[in-house]
Amino acid sequence: MANFNIDSEKARTYDAIVIGSGISGGWSAKELTERGLKTLVLERGRDVKHIVDYPTTNMQPWEFEHRERLPKEVTDANPIASRCYNFKESSQHFFAKDNEHPYIQEKPFDWIRGYQVGGKSLLWARQTQRWSQFDFDGPARDKFAVEWPIGYNDIAPWYSHVEKFAGITGNKDGIDTLPDGEFLRPHDLNCVEKYFKESVAKQYKDRHIIIGRAAHITDPQQIHLDQGRAQCQNRTICERGCPFGGYFSSNASTIPWAMKTGNMTLRPHSVVHSVIYDDKKQKVTGVRVIDANTKEMMEFYANIIFVNAAALNTNLILMNSISSRFPNGLGNDSGVLGKYVAFHNYRASISGEYEGFLDSTTDGRRPNSGYIPRFRNVYKQETDFLRGYAAGFGADRMTYSDRSDIGESLKNSLLNKKYGNWSVGSHMMGETIPKESNYVALDKTQKDPFGMPMMRINVDYDDNDEKMIKDYVEQVTEMFTNAGFKNIRSHDGHRNPGNDIHEMGGVRMGKDPKTSILNKWNQMHAAKNVFVTDGASMTSTSTQNPSLTYMAFSARSVDYAVKQMKAKNL
Amino acid sequence: MERRVALKGMAAAMGAMVSLPVWASGWNDSSLGKVKFSGAGQAEILKGAVDAIIPATDTPGAGELGVATFVRRMVTDCYDKKTQDTFDKGIAGLDAQSSKSFGKSFTEASKAQQLQLLQETEKSSDSETKSFFGLLKNLTIQGYMSSEYVMTNLTHFEFIPARYHGCVPVVKG
Repeated sequence: MANFNIDSEKARTYDAIVIGSGISGGWSAKELTERGLKTLVLERGRDVKHIVDYPTTNMQPWEFEHRERLPKEVTDANPIASRCYNFKESSQHFFAKDNEHPYIQEKPFDWIRGYQVGGKSLLWARQTQRWSQFDFDGPARDKFAVEWPIGYNDIAPWYSHVEKFAGITGNKDGIDTLPDGEFLRPHDLNCVEKYFKESVAKQYKDRHIIIGRAAHITDPQQIHLDQGRAQCQNRTICERGCPFGGYFSSNASTIPWAMKTGNMTLRPHSVVHSVIYDDKKQKVTGVRVIDANTKEMMEFYANIIFVNAAALNTNLILMNSISSRFPNGLGNDSGVLGKYVAFHNYRASISGEYEGFLDSTTDGRRPNSGYIPRFRNVYKQETDFLRGYAAGFGADRMTYSDRSDIGESLKNSLLNKKYGNWSVGSHMMGETIPKESNYVALDKTQKDPFGMPMMRINVDYDDNDEKMIKDYVEQVTEMFTNAGFKNIRSHDGHRNPGNDIHEMGGVRMGKDPKTSILNKWNQMHAAKNVFVTDGASMTSTSTQNPSLTYMAFSARSVDYAVKQMKAKNL
Repeated sequence: MERRVALKGMAAAMGAMVSLPVWASGWNDSSLGKVKFSGAGQAEILKGAVDAIIPATDTPGAGELGVATFVRRMVTDCYDKKTQDTFDKGIAGLDAQSSKSFGKSFTEASKAQQLQLLQETEKSSDSETKSFFGLLKNLTIQGYMSSEYVMTNLTHFEFIPARYHGCVPVVKG
């Protein structure tokens, strides 16, 4: 029996464990296995194999019984997921269902989750803008949260590293607020977007309209072909999973790559309960897992633990990791674990029309759009709110048909669409300020269906966000007006925090162990063999879509961890 | 010439039994799955109504393309009870109005009579009738425009465009 236990323990021991297989976990797995570490990747949901587990990917529009609308039964059962723009007939199987994964909203918070191998990397919007030094300088300059322990130069080579592998389309714009990267051929800006770019450049020195940088292979390189991926085919139905691997997902890229090394063991249906801190050995030795099917608890062991469960679940796991040494959650000597959660403010949007270029239109489809890098409060504080916002911008030629009649004339009109004006639109992506009062916590009594403490979420907008919304509407309205756009309308969707799917923080990086959980290597100050490289680690949020930065953190952190392991420092 | 008509013409010209390939006939009612219609004759009335809204010309109308099944499925699956009741009442109302105006049921009325009746319904000042007709018309247009036949043969939907050009001349006509 004793021998059996020893053998069993040995069989459950790896060099490294990665918790989560989404965008950051996939990168941790790739980098660890490439360096020869036997790595266990734990995923709470089911396996989703590239191509074979994309059931809707080749379905034609008319094959969806409700033409992408979800039956009322589904939307009634999933009010939270239903508020996500991407939750539809063709993609609903990649969303965690509300009733299966309950949590407590102290304030309204739309927690959008993808519980499967690949996580939300199957569903993301694929925008990949780098942070600049202005972004890392934010908290120190404007005196909120804590100072970032790293700067742009620390992360820049790792941005390059992940961009080359993932495949990022973009244009080298030479803008100091949004550094250029390793870009594949950029997508076109269309006629009206180019016109707007010129109009804005004429009137504002520091405002730029560029084509978004996005994780699409527009021009496959050998490294992409080696992954079995091909050129993006502009289908723009990415959320179904892409059989071409045209956009980056863990499923198409990092997970099969890690598997190919022979060093990865992937264990789906594994809900991580906690990270094990051995009070005798005075170190972290592994993780406790609840098997999602049997609900059986088991343990796995490793020298290095990467926590990549997605921002809020990473918080939950660490808060649930209780030991004599860490009675308030793993690594939580500072007491800031779960606090200073922030997100991106996507509330306002603006639409309009342009009456020019009426002899022109677009051809084909583009899985990308225009982008306006942050221009507010960059070089100095200039408004009554802190920080600023980036914005999406896009134009498209409208078509319409007269629907006033019925019968043959209606049919004729439907089949002979007329070109209208160009529609133009923008939405804001505002930086929110991490605050102690925006937090997540474990409920003391209620458990979820897996036996984990229920998550309580208490996150809200504040006055700074309201002022920023007002400024975004004013500034972009002015830019639209100056460009001669007509029929300009602004809209505040009052969407709940979380609906941006950019929740960040709670396990922040910092220089001082008294006020942060992680050091400049995303390594726990107080438990050196634990690394957190997902959104939980973010000290502040800036305005860029965050996934690229998580990828770079993961690769950088693994490189450091393995070097430390080899130097016997872990 | 539109493709399906061409194939039919080809069959006639050859004077032989040529069956249309599956893709060319795959948009009829039976291939669209079953839905439950409520009330006697609702399926036929709805089929007549969608066909009056988008009739057959040199190309199939909404009736032949199975749009009635789509409309019924959408109303049943995606709308609340109140909307469903309004819809059922509206369909029954078409039949009642037909008897009143033409002395025969909606399905027995001529195509011209059906069209006239629906045009009058659209102009109704009764808010419930208006919302019934608005829903029927919108779903009929959606079902027709997103049918395999229309997207394949008439509007030429491209599943895999493999390109994006940001500025091309509008093709006239």
